[in-house]
Amino acid sequence: MTLAPAPSSAARSLRRRILERGRDQAVPDRAVLVLHDVMKRYPNGKVALRDVDLVIPEGDFVFLVGPSGAGKSTLIKLLIRDEVATRGEVVLDSQDLARLPRRQVPRMRRKIGIIFQDFKLLPSKTVWENVAFALEVTGHPRKRIRPAVDRVLAIVGLTAQAQQIPSQLSGGEQQRTAIARALVHDPRLIIADEPTGNLDPLISWEILQLLLRINELGVTVLMATHNAEVVTALRKRVVALEEGRIIRDEVGGAYHRED
Amino acid sequence: MITFVWFSIRRAWQGFWRNAVMSLAATATMVLMLLLLAGFWIIQTGLLAGLEFTEQKVEVVAYLQPNVTDAQVTTLRTELEAMAEVESVAYVTRDQALDRFRASMEAQGREDLTQFLDSNPLYASLEVKLIDPSRIREVGDAMREDAAVRNVINIEDLVERVLTVTNILRTAGTVLLLVVGIICLFIIVNTIRLAVVARSEEIEIMRLVGASDAFIRWPFVFEGAFVGFLGAAITLGVLAAAADPLSGFMVEFFEVLPLEVGSLTRDLVTLVMGAGVGLGILGSWVSVRTYLIR
Repeated sequence: MTLAPAPSSAARSLRRRILERGRDQAVPDRAVLVLHDVMKRYPNGKVALRDVDLVIPEGDFVFLVGPSGAGKSTLIKLLIRDEVATRGEVVLDSQDLARLPRRQVPRMRRKIGIIFQDFKLLPSKTVWENVAFALEVTGHPRKRIRPAVDRVLAIVGLTAQAQQIPSQLSGGEQQRTAIARALVHDPRLIIADEPTGNLDPLISWEILQLLLRINELGVTVLMATHNAEVVTALRKRVVALEEGRIIRDEVGGAYHRED
Repeated sequence: MITFVWFSIRRAWQGFWRNAVMSLAATATMVLMLLLLAGFWIIQTGLLAGLEFTEQKVEVVAYLQPNVTDAQVTTLRTELEAMAEVESVAYVTRDQALDRFRASMEAQGREDLTQFLDSNPLYASLEVKLIDPSRIREVGDAMREDAAVRNVINIEDLVERVLTVTNILRTAGTVLLLVVGIICLFIIVNTIRLAVVARSEEIEIMRLVGASDAFIRWPFVFEGAFVGFLGAAITLGVLAAAADPLSGFMVEFFEVLPLEVGSLTRDLVTLVMGAGVGLGILGSWVSVRTYLIR
């Protein structure tokens, strides 16, 4: 199994400095995402997250691991503001999501690209239309949509399949379509919720390579996964959740604790 | 703004045809419900017209004393016409009464026996039409008190009984129409809801990619309005095709009713179009709302 070499930390910080464009000089690592003392209790009384502190700097690649029911899905729901934290702050791109008025939620979501295990593509639309859909429903003029869609399809390598509908594609191609759709808004953060869960190992690596490449382009990536092999092999930052708490947060970590 | 409206209309049109089976099912339900509503409305209109016609026939007849003077009659007429309950007063002289009697005998094909009489045995009378038949007792009593009046035929009890019946019929018709209206409301809103729920995934994706509520809602609202418009248009087509035989039947059934077909269709078009488009919009609005509010 060959892998694209992970970008060196020096290269990464250089790119980060370029991306900052002179803003926030006082904070060298401008954080895309900050969670501080976050607790989430659902109306049924179940506490899904507690005492969660997490800082994700711009350009980072983070694996979110942990058994089912550990709180990964809840965490992602907080990030896209499908749910609101019971206590604490969830700050995305300097905005506290709990204080964000409902009307501004859509605008905030355009800063996030989200990818799911089950792709969530519209079956009656072509690859091109599925990607363009994200721009159409957010009010972009048609003449801006065409070049943007063509560009992201080129990035994910689906230019040739642009006119096919999802049922004519392989699982990997469908997931790449979903990634293209997540990218088309030029998001600050890509959230991937088990993106390889439905894919065989070889295709999973393909998707990982694509996410790494997108990360190299300067987009922060947060990927929730059960894929131990991938996490351990890539030696990226690993955040492990268990029973709603962060039990481990290490750079260059493996899927399981290594002591 | 104009781009937004165009976007919504284009998406509504696409949404309709890309989910043709669901959309046509919703339209078909819409047509059936609107036909039901229109049917009951036509029946109710006929019923009301019939009742009004019946009530208009109510009049109080006061027979006058044989020796009454013209001045007395004029005074009484003026008094009666001044009453708020009275719509019109007609004076029938003794000669006119006799002519009427002869005409009615002839119409029934019976022999005119009055020719054997020396003099006219009939009384002159005042025929009083009422604005509101339920006030018949007051008018009747007022006339009985007048010296020029010989007698007033006591039809008050009968009229009140008839009025009770017509009022029950009127209320029952209104209630029935209301119930049918509510049934239509729920069935149509639910049908549209099914069509929206079938596309919940599309709504979810729109939410996730950051579409604002307006961009999610309005295409569905336009689509609902389109389903409503199409349903109403088909319903009106069916009704127009059925109008002639239907009104023929109505006239035959109620026989003498003065049914104005022209005004009936204009109200009916308003009702069917309004209910169709209105319920289409309402259904979409309510259904999409459940996905937006979180």
